[in-house]
Amino acid sequence: MSEPISLGMRNGFFTRLWKRRVPILFVLPAAITLLAITIFPLIYELRLAFMSWELTTSTPARFVGLQNFGKALFRDQRFWNSMGVTMRLIVFGTSIQLVAGTGLALLLNRLRRSRTILVSLFLIPVMIAPVVAGFQFRMIYHDQFGPLNYIIELVTGGGWRGFAWIADPKVALFAVMFTDIWQWTPFLMLIVLAGLQSISPEMYEAAEVDGASRRQTFARVTLPLILPVIVIGILIRAMDSFKLFDIIYLVTGGGPGDITETISFYTYLQGFKFFSVGYTAAMAFLQLIVITIIAQVFVRFQKRQTGRM
Amino acid sequence: MRRSSPARTAVIMIVLLAALVLFMFPVIWMFLTSFKDKGEYFSYPPVFWPKSFSLRNYFNSMAFPPDGRGGLQGFRDSLIIALSSTFASVLIGSLAAYSISRFKTGGENFSFWILSTRMFPPVAAALPLFLIFKQLKLLDNHLSLVIANTIFNLPFVIWLLKGFFDELPVELEEAAWLEGCGHLKTFRLISLPLVAPGLVATSLFSFIFSWNEFMFALLLSRRTVRTLTIIVPSLVGGHEILWGEIAAVGTLAIIPGVLLSLLLQKYLVRGLSLGAVKG
Repeated sequence: MSEPISLGMRNGFFTRLWKRRVPILFVLPAAITLLAITIFPLIYELRLAFMSWELTTSTPARFVGLQNFGKALFRDQRFWNSMGVTMRLIVFGTSIQLVAGTGLALLLNRLRRSRTILVSLFLIPVMIAPVVAGFQFRMIYHDQFGPLNYIIELVTGGGWRGFAWIADPKVALFAVMFTDIWQWTPFLMLIVLAGLQSISPEMYEAAEVDGASRRQTFARVTLPLILPVIVIGILIRAMDSFKLFDIIYLVTGGGPGDITETISFYTYLQGFKFFSVGYTAAMAFLQLIVITIIAQVFVRFQKRQTGRM
Repeated sequence: MRRSSPARTAVIMIVLLAALVLFMFPVIWMFLTSFKDKGEYFSYPPVFWPKSFSLRNYFNSMAFPPDGRGGLQGFRDSLIIALSSTFASVLIGSLAAYSISRFKTGGENFSFWILSTRMFPPVAAALPLFLIFKQLKLLDNHLSLVIANTIFNLPFVIWLLKGFFDELPVELEEAAWLEGCGHLKTFRLISLPLVAPGLVATSLFSFIFSWNEFMFALLLSRRTVRTLTIIVPSLVGGHEILWGEIAAVGTLAIIPGVLLSLLLQKYLVRGLSLGAVKG
């Protein structure tokens, strides 16, 4: 009795699949490639995370259960230090980029013809390799021959000769953060400007008719309308800063001590300098959890936005 | 919108130009350093303008010590990897983007899953990829870097191209189907040429992302393959600081980025925000 029904169901499923064979075939190569970086390494990495496997010793890999996760979460101060450094870079770096970027966007929005070329020039830092940006700042920060300390000396009339920017624990994190701010402020500028441009002039006219002051217009009209764009910008920057590696590698190498060691950089050290395979895998997994949370917020937000339009 | 008075516009312009100087300074400093000789960049007060614009650093940097295969090799390898991975990701990505855009293949969740793989931290994927490529004996080989870059650019390519296909009117394709064109033929002859500007923009973005990529180049290559992004840091940490030569390599390395920020003006917003903000 049940046979024709199940056959019918299978038939229905396969006919539907057959009807859609071309769209599915089109997607297949991409889907397989993407599975290759998500599902497969995830399973592979999860297996490694439960093992103790040190490539520096000849001891074979052995199963240790949750020990690697326990080490990261409860016993390894350096892990939490690097998480703290990363969080500080995300919170302070992104805030400064947002304020500076919005300021520049508001100014650019008032220009007419010259805007296009200015935007292009501002965007150059975004398009160059972070390693090259890091090298530029290595020269600028140099305590003896760098232009930054020279300018400080000029401004203070020889009273102060500045810092050893990348070697001084007091300012090294700032030096790294500023390099990132320099590179990415134009990005926030660009998307806030796009948000500003999409506001229709009628909105401003209406505000004017109602007798709103400049400040009121900004707070009640402009800001609410560019808020979605700002949220997207913050989320993209948060995800990118969470992965900050190139600039750290070039500018400070995580030093002095572990003052500028981000979680990406620490994971790299554990994996490719100390060769602790199991522990690296466990840390990578913990990062994936964090990034998945931010990414989910981003995706949900964007779904809501597109749904509204 | 309120019109600004000429005086106000002038003030705005001055503030913006001052900010622009700040943002251009590091690039200009590197550019000028690339022409300085050792005595000029190791001096205090720093020399701003080089005495003579000699190309010595550029020639030297093309064949660096210690192994004599410097900038030129970097260019070759960066170019091979960026071009191949761009080609591969646009080829695979355009098919997927078209299918997702037209036939809603996999539904909304599938397309957002693709977007979320873009956020995958490279360092988390680095270890498994390293071990796999080691097994396959592909370390220090162009192929491993092409694969890694293709994988990491693919979500971006699909998502951006999907946006371009979404904007295409479906009527033209329907006409082609009525004429008896198959899906692949319609895609190749009708849809793809129509999104040509989007295809070019996406390819250029993909190229620049691979060109600037550093972590995989650092982890998956040794001596036979050395991209430009590897050559720069390998010389920064050396005993002898070769600022002039590194600045020369750095200047050449940012040329694609500078050109593209001028060329891609129209698509920058979309490209850099993963299509989340339409410019």
